[in-house]
Parts: sequence; structure tokens; C-alpha cells
Amino acid sequence: MTDRGRRALIWAWTLAVLVFLYLPALCILLASLTASRYFLFPIQKWGLDWWRKTFESLEIRQLFANSITIAFCVMVVAVVIAFFGALAFARYNWKGRTVFQKIVLLPIFFPQSVLGLALLLWFNAIGIQTSWMTAIFAHLVWIIPVVTLVISIQVYSFDPALEEAAFDLGASRWQVFREVTLPVLLPGIVSGAFFAFLLSWGNFPLSLFTTGADATIPKYLYAKMVAGYTPGVPVLGTVSTFGAALLLLGGYWLVTLRRRAQS
Amino acid sequence: MPEGPNLLKVPKDCMSKRPPILQLKSLTKSFGTFNAVDGIDLDIAEGEFFTIVGPSGSGKTTLIRMLAGMEQASSGDIILSGTRINDLPANKRPTCMVFQSLALFPHRTVGENIEFPLKIKGIDPAQRKVRALALLDQLRLPPNYYGKSVLRCSGGERQRVALARALAFDPKILFFDEPLSAIDYKLRKTLEKELKDIHRETGKTFVYITHSLEEAMVMSDRIGVMRAGNLVQVGTPNEIYSSPKDKFVSEFMGDVNVIPVSMNGSRTITADTFDKTFTVATIPQAFSKGHLVIRPEFVRFVTEAKEAENVLEGKLYNEYALGSRIQYQVRVGENVFIVEKLRQHSSTLRRDQTVLIGWDAKDSILVTG
Repeated sequence: MTDRGRRALIWAWTLAVLVFLYLPALCILLASLTASRYFLFPIQKWGLDWWRKTFESLEIRQLFANSITIAFCVMVVAVVIAFFGALAFARYNWKGRTVFQKIVLLPIFFPQSVLGLALLLWFNAIGIQTSWMTAIFAHLVWIIPVVTLVISIQVYSFDPALEEAAFDLGASRWQVFREVTLPVLLPGIVSGAFFAFLLSWGNFPLSLFTTGADATIPKYLYAKMVAGYTPGVPVLGTVSTFGAALLLLGGYWLVTLRRRAQS
Repeated sequence: MPEGPNLLKVPKDCMSKRPPILQLKSLTKSFGTFNAVDGIDLDIAEGEFFTIVGPSGSGKTTLIRMLAGMEQASSGDIILSGTRINDLPANKRPTCMVFQSLALFPHRTVGENIEFPLKIKGIDPAQRKVRALALLDQLRLPPNYYGKSVLRCSGGERQRVALARALAFDPKILFFDEPLSAIDYKLRKTLEKELKDIHRETGKTFVYITHSLEEAMVMSDRIGVMRAGNLVQVGTPNEIYSSPKDKFVSEFMGDVNVIPVSMNGSRTITADTFDKTFTVATIPQAFSKGHLVIRPEFVRFVTEAKEAENVLEGKLYNEYALGSRIQYQVRVGENVFIVEKLRQHSSTLRRDQTVLIGWDAKDSILVTG
């Protein structure tokens, strides 16, 4: 094959992958821009009415508040626990470490709907009323292992001699942690935080079982799809998806800025 | 008129017998039943450049980590300026280590790295900067490196930054854990000399570990050769080079001729693997079996048997150019001998040529073991 032909093929393949990945998200955007009450493709009449209606709805505002609160709490708790978990996972050699590594990672592979049901049964058994607060706990069960893994990747590349050197140069254990361990591992912690927030933000199966009377955006979307579809569903879907993308891009931009300022 | 001893006339040499800054007394580190460091006794003088050399697994890293306070000694004493410091953690010891990986803080600039120990001591930023710039200058780094990220420094520059950071701590003793092992040959040779110069400028005590005796020879005042947790021999580079204590030390030095020999009844030394009696300068007491060691530069080509005290006939097998010297491999029967001489413009030696090689008794060493 000629060099030109090969390059054309690579481009075509890349384009196909991009279309496959991003066209569905784009369709959601298009579906939200209809003036009609029903889901009809191609769109007959364009309009922004459903966007206005959606944002005026108090119910939707409550959904956003719930989803953001849950995701934020999950992020804070998950990062703190997973950070120390990652140190145990990847930094220190201790008896039982390999067992710990397997046990910690296992919940990632549990079917989430089963995990959600199990948690619901358990909350019932010990008499806890399910609400957005129990959902935080449920999310944590699945998200802490993921974040532990994410931060561990950074910890694996951490040279333990850095801590020894700081200690040797007179720093106390706390100073070593604050001046060396924490800042050097910060990129891993930040990506862990993004993972925690976004995985919680988009989580449906665990929320379905464990939020009780409260609702999150994914849970509401599902309910509306099952019964009572309006173009408000793709509006919310678009906001949810593009919000997550913006958050990620913003984070990436901040990291790049910081890196540029350093050098 | 005879008087009492004149104390003012004490020869200067006695002054060089400085008191030890660091004393190790039967220092041991055990891992289970295995002694990584097996009862080491050693005095290191103030201002000395002392190098511990040994192959990997000899316990040298464990030893230096104990001295720096990163590893707890199992038994024995570490005495610094008269005080036992076994139980002091690394951050309370007035010593500092330059690590093999250098352990520069990647999230900080060159200046911040150097200032780290000063910041920990609570010295104000202005003073810290003055000190850091002085150290940059001392280590031949330009002042604009102060704000440079350590990730953008070359290998040699990173070495200098690591050393500057350790010097900023102003330690009583500086430990080095093979910091030059990952550096290419040419730069390593430069940095070895530079380190020796810095040692002289600062007057501090340096304790260095390496697996390269060649590196140790270049820099050290004294060398300790380590094997299996023990110091086999301690001495000046010259002593280690010219009178190795045993086969291990002599072979550690690089290419060397080692002939298994025994003593027969009439106090003569004969080779074990071929028929030859050697003339040697001194025979150690109670010697019965051991090795005769001859450095390749002391073996020379001769034309007649009377030109050297020990002469062997062999065949020239190959020659290797080593820069300013040429090394020849000569085979005497099944035995391989190495001869080194300075490069000359013309050489008449040919492969497979029969040659006579010889050395004088004073140039060979008889070692037990």
C-alpha cells in the first residue's frame, strides 16, 4: 500500500471512531432543540422552548442540587479515603498487601444493580430510611475502589527516596507529608477527584436503588423515559453530558496553566 | 643541654592523626538469621573521604543506611563525635545523604530544592536565597538555574543540585549512596574529580559507597573493601592497590594475574597448575597455599631469561588497545596471563608469536585465601 493510501485509511478509521463515540451525544443535543412535544426525527420545527421550560422547573433545580450535593460529598470522602488506601496499595510493603489489593478492587466488577439492591436490603435491614444521604454511601462503595486505583497509578511512580531525603534533611513526619508526599502526588489526587465527582454525577444503577424518595438527574431521566417523555429529557441529558465535559476540560486547562507557570 | 620533651617540636605528621568523627563498634544488621552487616569495626577521621567498596549484596547499602539513620542497627554502636547515635532517627542526625536516585523534589525548582533544609530550619527566605546562590556558585552552576525546574536539568546538573542541597543542610558527615552509578563514563570521570575538589573546599567528612574500586581510587583518602557484610581490607588507595590482602581484593581491582600456588618443603613457591617455581620477595608467616598476584603493568616482555627474576615462555594470543596502554593476552600452556604496556609507535609483536614474559619478585604479592 502506498504511504498516501495508508495515511488516508488511518484518517478514515479515526473519523469513524470519533463519529461512533460522539454522534450519540450530538443527537441528544439535536433532540433537545425541537419545538414539538414528541420525539420525531428528522426534526420538523426547531426551538429553544424546552430549554427555557426545563430551567424554569423547580423540580429540575432540585435534581441538580441533589446530584451536585451527592457528587461533591462523594468526591471529598472518596479522595480522602482512597488517598490513604492508595498509599497502602502501592507505596508500602506490608503483610497482606496483595490480598488487600484484590479485595479493594473487587467491588469495581460487581454488577452495580446487584450492589445497589444489596445495599437497599441492607439499609432496610438495619432500619435506615433511604435518601440522598444513603446514596452517597452507596456511591462510595463503588467509587472508592476506582479512585484508589486511579491514585495508585500515581503512587507507583513515586520514588520513596523522596520521603527519605526530606526526612534526612531534618523534616518531621508531618513536614515530609505536607512538603513532599502530598504535592508530588497531587496530580493523582486531582484526577481521582474528577473521577469521583463524574462517576457519582452520572451514576444510575446505585442511585435507582438507594436514593429513596429523592431523585438524581440520571434517575429522573430514566423515569421520564419509561413514562412521560418530553424534550426536557434530552435537554437535561445534554446539560448533564456537556457539563461533565466542560468540567473535565476546565480541569485540564487549569493543570496546563499551572504546569506552564512552573516552567 | 638536655631538657624535657619539647612539645612545640611535635612533627606535623602527628597532627594528621585526627580524632575519629565516626566510630563503628561491632555494628551488625540482621534480617532473620542473615547478617547483612556482620560486626563491623571502623574509625573514620574528621575531614576524611572514606569509600566503602563492594559488589552488590555485600551489605554496603545497608551499612550506609544504618549510618544515616534510615535503618535500625541490630546490635553494635554508631558513635558520632563521642555520642552514641543508634537511636536517633535520620531527621535528628547532623548527617545527610545523597541518594542513588538523587531524590530531587520534582515539584520544586533548583533553588527550592537547595533551600529545603534551610526552610525546615526556619531560616527566612532572603537569607535562604543568598545561601542557595552561594552554593550554586560553589557547584559551578549558573545563578539563573535558581528558578529552573529540576526536571529540566541534565544528569550532571542534577548531581550538583543534589550535592548543593545536602551541603545546604551543613551536615557533619555527608553520605553518598552510589550517586554516580547511572551516569555515563565520561561525565562520571569529570564528576568524580569535581566531588574530590568539593571535598577539599568544604573540608567535610565524606563517606561514599560504590561498587567500582576504580571510582573509589580516584576520590578516596581511604577505602574499605566489603564482602558478605565484613570489611575485608581497609587502607589507602595505594595500599589496596599494591598490597591487596587476598584474591578477592586483588581481583576486585580489575584485570590482574592470579596464579594458584603452594609452598613446598624447601620454602619455595610453586605453581599448582603448571611446573614452575617462583621467586617472591616475602612469604607470609604460616603460608602453605594461596595465590600469587601480579599486576599486568608489572609484567613485561623480555628477550632473555636473565632479564627478570621470574620468566615464563608463552604464545601471544591477542592484544587489546586501552587508550594510552595496550593489553596483551599471553597463553602459557592452558594458563592466561595479561601484560600491559604503554602504547608505543611501533610494535613488533605478532599473534601466535612465542614470547618470554617476566616480572621481578618485588612486583608480586603472595596472598593467602
